[in-house]
Amino acid sequence: MMSRVASGERAALRQLYEATSAKLFAVCLRILSDREEAEDVLQEVYVTIWRRADRFDAARASVMTWVSTIARNRSIDRLRARGPLAYADQVEELEIPDGQIGAEALLEAKGEEGRLHNCLSELDDRTQKVIRTAFFEGVTYDALARRMGTPLGTVKSWVRRGLAKLKGCLER
Amino acid sequence: MSEAPDLTETEAFAAEHALGVLSSAERRKAELRMAREPEFAALVEAWRQRLAPMTDQLAPVQPPYSVWAAVLKALPANDNASGLGLRFWRGATAAATTLAAASIALAVFVGARPPVIVQPPAPGQLLDASLVSQSGAPVPLFVAAYDPVRKALIVTSLVTSNTDPAHVHELWVIPSDGKPRPLGIIKPGTTQAMPMPEKYLPSLAEGSALAVSLEPPGGSPKVDAPTGPITAVGKLAKI
Repeated sequence: MMSRVASGERAALRQLYEATSAKLFAVCLRILSDREEAEDVLQEVYVTIWRRADRFDAARASVMTWVSTIARNRSIDRLRARGPLAYADQVEELEIPDGQIGAEALLEAKGEEGRLHNCLSELDDRTQKVIRTAFFEGVTYDALARRMGTPLGTVKSWVRRGLAKLKGCLER
Repeated sequence: MSEAPDLTETEAFAAEHALGVLSSAERRKAELRMAREPEFAALVEAWRQRLAPMTDQLAPVQPPYSVWAAVLKALPANDNASGLGLRFWRGATAAATTLAAASIALAVFVGARPPVIVQPPAPGQLLDASLVSQSGAPVPLFVAAYDPVRKALIVTSLVTSNTDPAHVHELWVIPSDGKPRPLGIIKPGTTQAMPMPEKYLPSLAEGSALAVSLEPPGGSPKVDAPTGPITAVGKLAKI
């Protein structure tokens, strides 16, 4: 599929769009919280996919991860373009309601997704929140530290410890 | 949780890049390292893969059709989208007059091209078409999408300026019966939603052709046929 996109087949891009756009739109919406901007970014995402399809390496990433990474990066770029205040100012919003998985999701949690969620839930609440916030909002260490009123070095060590624990858990 | 060993400095940096916590300057540094060091790039990809399931908890949200239309509009014309020519216009008309009663599927042969299967309309189907120029390079000049919910055709003109004020661009739909129906005038360089009258809805089916003709101001003097040259043609297809 990606090689067909890379060779300029619009039909292949359309297939990819059909298969992934609802997921990627959810990612853009989650990060940007603005429908119009999310639509705009989603369009950029598929144009980027079209242009970069030749760089997709199936040995290194799955198609879904590859396209979601583009969606996330583009959204984060857009978020950052709003200026530093846009993502440094939301002190009270570190609580992410949809970052918590419901009972239903827990029951269904399986495979890779379930494993990551189980491993995330093994982290302490604060680390979990920091990692989720960073992932979904592209919040830098600097902005996280300001939001939380915590020294940058401390936030950084929470994240690094958290990521090391995640890796350890995922490899168990 | 049992204590996990600390990540090496390199892996921690890769993980931070995948997570997205790095400042712009550090991010650029990480991108450069990815370009230069395949091992580092592999670490970043592995971390992206580890973290990606976080997005799985987001419920999918269907984007509006306009996004796909905008994607099409932004793509360079370097693919095989240019299969239709003026010959198609004529061929479809000729074929359709003899096969007007075909109700299930109609194969239109255009020269040596493979048959094009024209499907009957599926209710509520989103359709789109890229209308490419009829002379010179097959450049898309118009992008059209049919939104069954709004019962409107969303048409974007990629013609940036009206170089010829003596003429207008008139849009037509040619369904399988081969008879052109006028849909309206397209203003250069704009996107417009053209509400479709009920009587034209059956025409807006997969396989119907859309065409733009150059007409005097106000549109074609004839209601059932273009009088000027056809500048762009495309076929409606399911999204």
